[in-house]
This record gives sequence, structure tokens and C-alpha cells, in this order.
Amino acid sequence: MMREKYLAIPIRLLFIVLALALVYTQAIKHTYYSRLSKDNAIRIIPIEGPRGAIFDRNGVGLVSDRLSFNVALVYQELKNREKLIRLLINTLGVERKDVERGIEKAARRPYAPVTIVDDIDRDKAFILEEESFDIRGLVIQTRSVRNYLHGNIGAHLLGYLSEISDSELERMKEYGYRAKDLIGRDGVEKYYDSYLSGVDGGIQIQVDNRGRHVRTLGMKEPVNGKDLFLTIDIDLQSACDKALDRYRGAIIVMDPNTGEVLALSSSPGFDPNIFVRPEGSLKRTRLIRDKSMYPLLNRAIAGIYQPGSVFKMIVAMTALDMERIERKTRFNCSGSFTLGTGKFACWKEGGHGSQNVIDALMNSCNVFFYNTGRALGIDNIETGAKNFGFGRITGIDLPGEAKGVIPGRSWKRSVKKDGWYEGDTVNLSIGQGYILATPIQVLEMISIVANNGNAVKPYVVKRIDKSDVIPAQRHDLNISKGAMKTVREGLYQVVNAENGTGKRAKLEGIAIAGKTGTAENPGGRTHAWFCGFAPFDNAKISLVIFLEHGGKGGLEPSEIAKEIFTVARSKGYL
Amino acid sequence: MIFDRRLLKDFDKTLLAITFIICIGGLFMLHSATQVKSLPFVESYVFRQISWIALATVLLLFIINISYQKFIDISYALYAINVILLALVLILGRERLGAQRWFAIGDFAFQPSEFIKISFILVLASILGSKRVDLKYAGGLVLPLLSLAVPFLLVLVQPDLGTAMLLIPIFFAMIYVAGARVKHLVILVLTGLAAMPFFWHFLRDYQKQRLLVFLNPNVDPLGAGYTIIQSKIAVGSGGLIGKGWLAGTQNQLNFLPERHTDFIFSVIGEEWGLFGALVLILLFFLIMRRSLDIASSTNDMYGKLVAVGIVTLLSLQVVINIAMTIGFMPVVGIPLPLVSYGGSSMITSFIAIALLLNIGMRRSRF
Repeated sequence: MMREKYLAIPIRLLFIVLALALVYTQAIKHTYYSRLSKDNAIRIIPIEGPRGAIFDRNGVGLVSDRLSFNVALVYQELKNREKLIRLLINTLGVERKDVERGIEKAARRPYAPVTIVDDIDRDKAFILEEESFDIRGLVIQTRSVRNYLHGNIGAHLLGYLSEISDSELERMKEYGYRAKDLIGRDGVEKYYDSYLSGVDGGIQIQVDNRGRHVRTLGMKEPVNGKDLFLTIDIDLQSACDKALDRYRGAIIVMDPNTGEVLALSSSPGFDPNIFVRPEGSLKRTRLIRDKSMYPLLNRAIAGIYQPGSVFKMIVAMTALDMERIERKTRFNCSGSFTLGTGKFACWKEGGHGSQNVIDALMNSCNVFFYNTGRALGIDNIETGAKNFGFGRITGIDLPGEAKGVIPGRSWKRSVKKDGWYEGDTVNLSIGQGYILATPIQVLEMISIVANNGNAVKPYVVKRIDKSDVIPAQRHDLNISKGAMKTVREGLYQVVNAENGTGKRAKLEGIAIAGKTGTAENPGGRTHAWFCGFAPFDNAKISLVIFLEHGGKGGLEPSEIAKEIFTVARSKGYL
Repeated sequence: MIFDRRLLKDFDKTLLAITFIICIGGLFMLHSATQVKSLPFVESYVFRQISWIALATVLLLFIINISYQKFIDISYALYAINVILLALVLILGRERLGAQRWFAIGDFAFQPSEFIKISFILVLASILGSKRVDLKYAGGLVLPLLSLAVPFLLVLVQPDLGTAMLLIPIFFAMIYVAGARVKHLVILVLTGLAAMPFFWHFLRDYQKQRLLVFLNPNVDPLGAGYTIIQSKIAVGSGGLIGKGWLAGTQNQLNFLPERHTDFIFSVIGEEWGLFGALVLILLFFLIMRRSLDIASSTNDMYGKLVAVGIVTLLSLQVVINIAMTIGFMPVVGIPLPLVSYGGSSMITSFIAIALLLNIGMRRSRF
């Protein structure tokens, strides 16, 4: 019997299977295990690339990053739980249950520092830092937090930050955005996000099984975001915000020669700081959910409203330019205007009597413009309005600008499925009906007049880091000198004549021209407008005041305009 | 040392050389696995392992000087002493990692379950070789089964599932070579399989856990599954040529628990890759080849049976240890012979090799 010979067979078989198992593990699955091995041992510790700061035109800081101190815990190193809880309660005055909840949170990721109390005072951070020698596992972490130095002032202009959403991340990953990154949500923060945001660097380290640092493998320096210098004057901005305090509405102040926006206000406002503070979540939700006031809407560029009588200057300008009327052309205002069976009223009962174009602008006579509008025809009004920038965005360097609506024959056919009627023309002649415009479009219109027919593009960022932003080319609308002169004269009378509708804007020592508007709208009380410029001969400032359901343009808006011109003068802009 | 010529002629120098090659290679791996502890040399694991090897070598020289027949003669006594020690360790032994396997003698943790493998082989050879039992009849299997059952149960309740299970294939290999009828072997195997659900109830919770973790290591990745997952990552990331000596990240950064004892192979796999692993199992395979040659070239039934038992023991230890390191078998606490750190294991392996050499050099005398 040589049975032991047979024993060689299972032994040989076992060794062959073992060799094959090794080939499988080490050759076939090598890439898989190799990645797992690297994941085990290599960690990247990110170093934040600070976001760029924002300054006003005079170098006054508006937005910057501030250092925030957080209390974090490495749970695995914690020895004396009770001592830590008592220290935090005594030093920070926090609730016991909040601390305990934080510790529970940290226990779920025992090897990494987990924040348990957010954003504590600097002094207290130093106290805890000293104590942390005695309490193992306690770590004071610093993190930079966006700080809006002036709170509510210029909130819509500056915008705010919030964490990137999953869908945005998907779209923007290739531009270097990562999960948990904060991105600009509105205003300059959004429009210039790619300049402002820094590129995070990081240290690649090797760790052992307890996550302890063994050696540094490499480092990528963070890149700071670029600083922005705005065209805004923070004092003027602050005056505008304050003027709007009690209203819903918008104010924009601009240099009509260059397009530099000096102030851009929208009301109601908000404090952008609540979007970065952890305790702000309730306020955030309230802001976002507010459907009666829409505080997050930037009314200056994204709100669309009937412009009302401020639109009359377009009708006047186009009619004069196309010689459908002359300076001396007169229409009689009897208080109303009859078209077929319809009757269109002037705002003044009993009428203005015989009016030329200058009178009509000064008095804002509807009947004169009903006649002028009919003389022009809808197609010419549409062309004239588009020429002045209505119905399209101005291209200001802020996000979310609205186009508004300039109605016309083809617009009405495609949108309203109806033909254009003469009554529509009559309505449009006084800025009513289907027309909708943003305050910045109205500002653009008045600035063209202020600038004798030259259009500029409004902008809010003057300089990015060290390079100046080159403003867009001025663009001449080629309006006849006579038409321009006549309309300007009318606008001068609006403010300066004894009975001009905008006389409340009149300011001693400065020649102001402008136009009021009181727009009927389906929402309720009339919208109130004032747009104007000064000085009359060599305009340095143009502005628009808009008060949503604010009553008559000749009242509060004109008074606010006077106030703003006064501040602008004291700041040396006039 | 005085051997007569004939003994020297049949002395298997290759077997001894391979044994030492594996031992020395093992020292390098042990150094790599333990250097992060940066102990002074005299306290290091490498120094202590060298001491064990030295002691084991002395023991080896002693054993090959005495004919293995003498060991067969005293096998009942050795077996009895070892069984008593196994019983004592349950009462007096130290508990470590949830199991009572050790006697502490000074610094040395003495593990009787390591030695029972050898005592059992010797006593079973003694029973089967003596012709006192007739394997043609089922009744002849009673005494051999009894000799298995006593240590098997004592080791199982320690609990040391791995060692206990190891005794079973040794038993089968030896009674098969001794001439047991295949029919009887099949019946025994089937009876054993049928009894397995019964044994499941005798397993400790941690043993059940280990078996469940083997089926799916991810049930408890930070607990029972951690070792096996990290060990697989180590071996797999070693690739074809490995990360280099002292350069395995899994090893050097402490991701591998138990890596100087039962999981020493994961260090080899990580730092020396598939190449190193295959060289190592080739060396072990050569030992098995030489041992099988010894088993078939001796005419003495006692010697043949002892050699067969030892070949089965060593080859199963190697295969099970490596297979559990790469997740192909459950974790059952079986060290890698000649490589894993530990005195009891090293001495047992050397006694096994010494007995093989002993049988080989005396084969012509019968």
C-alpha cells in the first residue's frame, strides 16, 4: 500500500488554489486595493483661499472676511466629558443640552474635529484656547466668515453668499467649485463670483490608523480672491437707503457721462450677514418666504412697473425728432380726449387749455400726449422707446436684470393674440397700458437726455484688484439738436417753473431738470416716479426715484430727489 | 554530534536549509512589522524571535539525535501530559483576547494547544502502527477516534476553533494512509457534517461573529471585519512586486492589527508583492515535497504515519493562514509556521521539522 502517494494530490491542489487566490488579490484586484490603501493613508487638509474684499469708490471697506472662532471636539481624545461641558457652560453661557448635542455629533466622527459651538467671541476663544491644554480633544478652530460691514446698507447691490447646491456643483465643478463652498447669490457677490472667490489650497498628509499626521507629502498654496472697488459712494448709498426706509421702491444715482453708478438702493432691504451666521437660519427662511414684500427682490433692476408720465419725454423726443410735431405745435386740453366711443381723461379736471410741448411736459398734460402719440403712431413710439433702451436690459454688471415690456403690433399679436388698437397707442403715449420698465431703464432714459443724446452703459465695478474696468463706449443716438433742446427745456420747467409738477425737487444754486410720473397700475395705489439730472448744462448726476404704490411723483419722490441732490452736492459730485 | 555515516547520508540538508531560509526571511518581515515600536534591540520582537529560533534549533539537534522510535514509545505519556496540561490551562491559564490558551512561565506564554498537534500525531501513529487495531472493521476506528476526541474537545472549549479543526484532517490523512476503508472514511465525514449545526451552538459568540464576518466582512467594518479588510487591502495593494521592504503603508502606518503574529503574511504581501508571496509559498511547497518523499521512502509504518501527519499539519497551516489573510477563509487564529512571531509556534514547527529529518535519516534502517 502506497496510499501516502495520493496525499500529494490534495496538497498540490491546495497550493495551486492558494497561488491563484494570490494572483487574483494582488494582480487582478490590485488597482482596487491600491486605491483603498491610498484612501486609508492620505488626507487632504484644505486651506481656504480667502474671498476678495469689496470697497467703495473711495476705498471704504464694504465687505471683507472676518476671523470666526469655533469650538470643535476630537471625540476620540476626549477624556473628561463633564469637565468640558462645565467649562463651555461657564465660559460661553451656552445651554447644557446644546453642548451635549454637539458632543453626540462629534461622537459620530470620532477622529476628526467637529464643531460643537459656532462663532464665539474672540476673548472667549483665547480663554478656551488656554484651557484646551487641560482638556484633551478640545480644539479652537478659526474660519473666515464673510462680513458685511455696513449691515443693511447696499444689500441688494452687494448680494450675499450661501452654500453651493448639488445641481450647481454638478454644473460648476470644472470651474473649481467644491461641495460646501459658499457662492455669491445676488448682486456683486454673484456677478463677480469668479473674481472674488479664492482657490482653496491644501496640504496633502499621510496619516496613521488613528488619523494622526505622520508626514507631509505636498502642499498647494491657496490663491486669494481679487478685491473689488465699486463705483458706489457708501455715504450716498447710505442716504438713498435711508430715504427709502419707510417705502417700497428703488433709487439709483449715476454719473450720466460715464455710467458709473454712485448708489443703487432697493427697499425693503435685508442684512446679508444673516446668510453666513449659523443662528440666522430662521431669519433667512422668513426673508425667502416673504411673499408680500419680496425683500430679496432688487427692485432697482429686477422690478418692472408702468413708467407713467416719465415716458412722455420719449414720446415728445421721438415726435420732435421725426418732425411730427414742432416746438410751437399746440394741442388744446379740455380735460379729456375722445377716441371713437372711448373717452381718455387728463389728470387735471377741466384741462390745461392750449399747450405746446414744453407746457405739456411741465404740466404733464395727458391730452397733449394723446394727440402727439396718435400723430406718431405705435410703430414710431415702439422704435423710439427701444432706441432709449426700453424692452431690453441695460447690461449693468449685476445679475437678474429684467427686460420689461415695450408693446407693439407684433408683441400684442404674439402675446395677447389680438390686434393693436388706437386706444392702445393713446394709453402708451402716457406710459400706461402694457408697458413695463425697470427703474434702471428709466435712469438710462433720463441719462441719455442729460448727456445730450449719448447713451452709456451703467456699471458698478470700477476696478478689479489692480486693473481698472474699461467702461463701454458711449453711443450717440443721433437725435436732432432741436428735439433734444426742446425736451430738455421742458424737463427744466418741470422742476423750476412756478407750477411745474416736480417743483418740490428744486434746489437753490443747482439747476435741476427732471420728470415726474404717477402710474396707474392694477395692484392698487399709483406708483410714484421722479427721474432727473443736474446740473442742467453739464450734467454730473442723474437719478431715478421709484416708490411702489407711492402716490404722486410730484410729492415724495421729488422731495427725496432734492434730498439726494443735496447729499451729492455736499459730497462734491455737483 | 555523533551520527553514523548512514544517518548522515540520508540527512535531508535541503529541508533544513529551506527551513532556515524561511526563518531568516521571516525575521526581516518581523522587523518591518514591528520597527515602528522602536524598541531597543534586546527588547525587540526580532531579538526575541531569534532567541526562540536558537532554542528551537537546540531542540531540533536534540530530537534528531534520538531515534523517533523512542518518541513513539513514550507517545502515550507525552499525550497524557499534554492532555492534562490542556485541562489545566482551562482552569489556571491566562485569558487573552477572550480565550484561555496560555500558561505564563515567567515571560514566556506557554501554549499547550500548539504542542498537542505533535503529541496527537505521535500517539495516533503509535495506535495505528501497532496493529492492535484492525482498520478493516469499523470497530477498529474507536480507539483512534477517542484519541482525537479528547484533545479536540479540550481545545475547542478554550476556545481555539482553528487548532481543533486542524486535528480532524490530520486524523483522516493518517487513518487513510494506515489503511482505513474508504467507505468508513466517507461515513465519518458525513457524520461530521451532520453534526456541524450541533457544534454551532457550542461556539462562542466571537467565533460565530468571525464566521459571519468571513461571509461578509462589511457587516462590521470597524469591529470584527476591520482586520480582514485591512489585511486584504495590504496584500492587494502590494501588487506584483510590492511596495518595498519597510515601505508598506498599511503596515508602517499601523492599519494592520496582529501583523507580527497571525497576519504576518499581509506584511509580506504588501511589501514584497505577488513575487515575494509566490516565492514564500514555493519554499513551503518544497518542504511538503521533501516531507512526502520522506513519508513514502520509509518502510516503517510508524515513521510513515508521523511524516504524513506532519505534512498535513504544516501544509494546512500554511494554506489556511495565507487564505485567511486574503479573505478566502475565516479568521481562525492559526499562525504561519516558521514566520509568525511566537515561541510556542516556532518550537512546534521546529519539532515537526526535526521529526521529519529524524524519520528521513533513519529510513534505511528498517
